[in-house]
This record gives sequence, C-alpha cells and structure tokens, in this order.
Amino acid sequence: MPGVEHCLQEAMAIPGAVGASIVDYTTGFPVATTGAAPNSDHEAAAAGTADVVQAATSRSLFVSAVPHDLLEDLIITTAGGYHLLRLVQTDFDSRLVLYVWLDRIHGNLAVARRRMQTLAAELVAT
Amino acid sequence: MSPTKTAAPGRLLTQVAGERQTGALVVGGHPGGSPGGAVYLHDGAVIYAESPASPGVGELLTSSGRLAARTWQAALDAGSPQSRVGRLLLDQGHLTQGELELCVLGAIYDAAYFALGSASAPVEFRPGAGHWLGTVVRVDAAAVNRESRRRSRLLDEIFPNALIDSAPVTPVPRAPLERITLTALQWELLVHADGQRTPADLAQLLGRAGFATIQELRRLAALGLIERPAERDPKTDDPDLVRLPRARGTAPAAGVTRPVVTLDEGPMVPVVTHRTATAVEDPPPATPAPYTGDPVTNGTVYRPPRLARRKPGAKLPKDLAGEPPMDVPGADEVLLKRIRTALRALR
Repeated sequence: MPGVEHCLQEAMAIPGAVGASIVDYTTGFPVATTGAAPNSDHEAAAAGTADVVQAATSRSLFVSAVPHDLLEDLIITTAGGYHLLRLVQTDFDSRLVLYVWLDRIHGNLAVARRRMQTLAAELVAT
Repeated sequence: MSPTKTAAPGRLLTQVAGERQTGALVVGGHPGGSPGGAVYLHDGAVIYAESPASPGVGELLTSSGRLAARTWQAALDAGSPQSRVGRLLLDQGHLTQGELELCVLGAIYDAAYFALGSASAPVEFRPGAGHWLGTVVRVDAAAVNRESRRRSRLLDEIFPNALIDSAPVTPVPRAPLERITLTALQWELLVHADGQRTPADLAQLLGRAGFATIQELRRLAALGLIERPAERDPKTDDPDLVRLPRARGTAPAAGVTRPVVTLDEGPMVPVVTHRTATAVEDPPPATPAPYTGDPVTNGTVYRPPRLARRKPGAKLPKDLAGEPPMDVPGADEVLLKRIRTALRALR
C-alpha cells in the first residue's frame, strides 16, 4: 500500500533524481520532503513551487485550448537540471503537487514525466 | 499543567512536545475572534489537530463524496473505542494509505493554524488524551508552529484585515469591474455567502480547508467582491448605540479604507420604528430612492436597504426610539410616515 513516504522513495528512484517533495500550493508548504532541495532549502523551494503553480492555474491561459482542459505538469529546465511538477488530483479538498528535481546529465525528461504520472496516480488510486 | 491557564498556545505546544508528552492541547476560542481548537500529540509528535473553523478528516472525505457518510459513520463507530478509525478505513480498502496520509496532513496544518493562531488564549494540556483517528502520520511540532505563523503572514500579504477571517461574508451587490475571473473556490464561496455564514460556516459547508477559504476571502475582499468588515474602534464604540443601515449604493468605495463609521457620516436609510405586530412580518417598506446628488450615490441604482442587525436587547438611538408608538396605524398614516421618512432622507 503506497503511502506518502513510499511515493517519495519511488520518486527518488527515477534516474537522475536528487530531491523530491509534495507541496501544498495554496500555502507553499512542503507536506513531505526527501533528498536535496535547491539551495538546500525545501521550504523556500516549496514556496517557489507554489508561486509557479499559482501563476499557471490562476490565469486560464494555459488550459484554454480544449474544453475542460486540466493542468497536468509544469516542467522547468535549467542549465544544470530539470524541475518537474505534477499536480496530484485528490477527490477530497486539497491542492497538492509532486515536485521532483533531476540532475540534467543523468535525468531523462520523458522517463521522469511518465514515472511521476504513475506515482501521482498511485498515491490516490484505490 | 492540567488546569486551564491563559498562555500562548504555540509556546505550550513546543514545551509539551519537548517533553515528549502524549495528550491533547486544548485551546479555548471566543466568539468573533480566534476559533480555538485542539492539537493531539503522541510521544511529542503531532498526530492530529481539529478546530471549529476547519473541516476535519471526516467532513473532507464525506463532503467531497470520496466516502459515503454511512461508510464514515460505520468506521467511526467501530474504530473510535480503540482509536483506530484511520487503520480501519485502510484495512477495509476504503482509502489508500497515500490518500489518508495526505488528508490527515492537510487537516493537521489547517486546524493547527486556527488553534495556535492567537497570541494568548485559555489553553489546557490533557495528558494521555488520544484521538479516535489513531496515529496515521507524525509531524514535528516545531514545523506545525512555524507553519502556523507563516500562514498568518501570508494572509496579511494578500489583504491586511483580520476581521474578514471571522465576520459573516456578504458579497457586494455589484461587481466593481465589468469582467471578473474567479477560481472555483471563489465562485463556491460567493454562491454560498449569504450575509449570515461566517468563513468557518462556509468551510464546513463546502468541505474546503479553512485556511484556503479565508485566503480566497481575503483575495475577494482585495478585489472588492465581498464587503469589508470595518475595524471597530473600542474608544468610540458605544455598545448602546446601534449603527444605522446604509443604503447599498452608499457603501464605502472599494480601495478606500475608511475609519469607524459614525452616525452622522454618509446618507442614512430612514428607519421606520413604529410598526404594528402584524406589520413585522412584512418586507421592509419600499422607501423611494432618495436621490441626493451625492457623488457617492450618483449613478448607482437604488436597492432596498439592508436592515441593521442589532444585538438582542440593544436599544435604538434616542432620537429614533423616543417617539411614542402609534395606536391606530391606518393605511394612510403608514403612507404618510413613508413619505416623511423619505423627505427626511432628502434633507
């Protein structure tokens, strides 16, 4: 039975992963964290993550192409790494996002995205 | 430690967590202010928190339809005596571990914000008290404290008026802009706000996190979409004096923070004080629109005045309440009174 800890362990098993967390994006609070964080500060990283998600969700700009379109992932690439954000859809009221930080050399964006999709679904699937 | 004393709830939490205690930290609330709540510890770690202002795990799961009310009640009945409601829901396959953990974590931080928010409140630590949910997650008490403080800063960054968090929510009758964009939660809040429900009522009704609710309400207030409760000044606030209702079109303009509203400020809606017992059930008299040429009222459509909400037993201002009640209020006299009050408003 996968819990939050298990989910983060699995996220760290993604090739190139250096850190992972689950962030409440209304408050920018890291609900659970593991591994490294940019600038070794999980809380600051979570606050930044929340700002990015808020920016993408509060305007309907990015989800307007198809009716009932939903935001799935946000991917930020830097010279040294990839930052992947996957929204976790729960039935009950929550606003959570799974965040994984990948090393650019060892990480594979496509593989990581697929793994995170599965992880986020498994976390809440019955 | 057990008797109730007035202290900072956050500091007491740090203390009992440092002593690795097990029990419940119960924080008293007071109406119109901090809602209070309880934080449950096991071996110094926070395992659950609850507050009247934040929906608990049960409300979150049932109001969203994730669990049928019957399923939840059955688990509650069977698991409460041994404090293993959470375990039971997992064993019976109603929820996944991940879902339950995320739900409980959310509920803890949400309720802790309300329970620990006040700087000073009657607090009591009840050693040994457990919670029926059982231990689903364990959270560091320092993290809970830190997060509670951070959340109150977040709210003030949006719109610094703490009265919004507890006052009944009244949507403005007319949006200040031609076109507005709302989030799903903002829409839900505006649809269910009726001038009576407080933010806590709305959170419970909608099964939405209490903090997320007041966060959106502060945003709505900043946008001018809900009315902003005025700061009360304890010096000039006379409990015997009743604030007269204002015509809706004359509400303080959005974006302007007004000081205390005094009686002689702004056009007032006439109050009809003499009504017979049967007339009480009638809707408020349709007073004609007093077009005063006032720049504030200019251009606004007349809407019926909201009646002033008076505290039970509060007196009306002397000049209004002093006149003797009418013995035979015929139809003509009622009409004359309406005209008189309308004329008064024009002065």
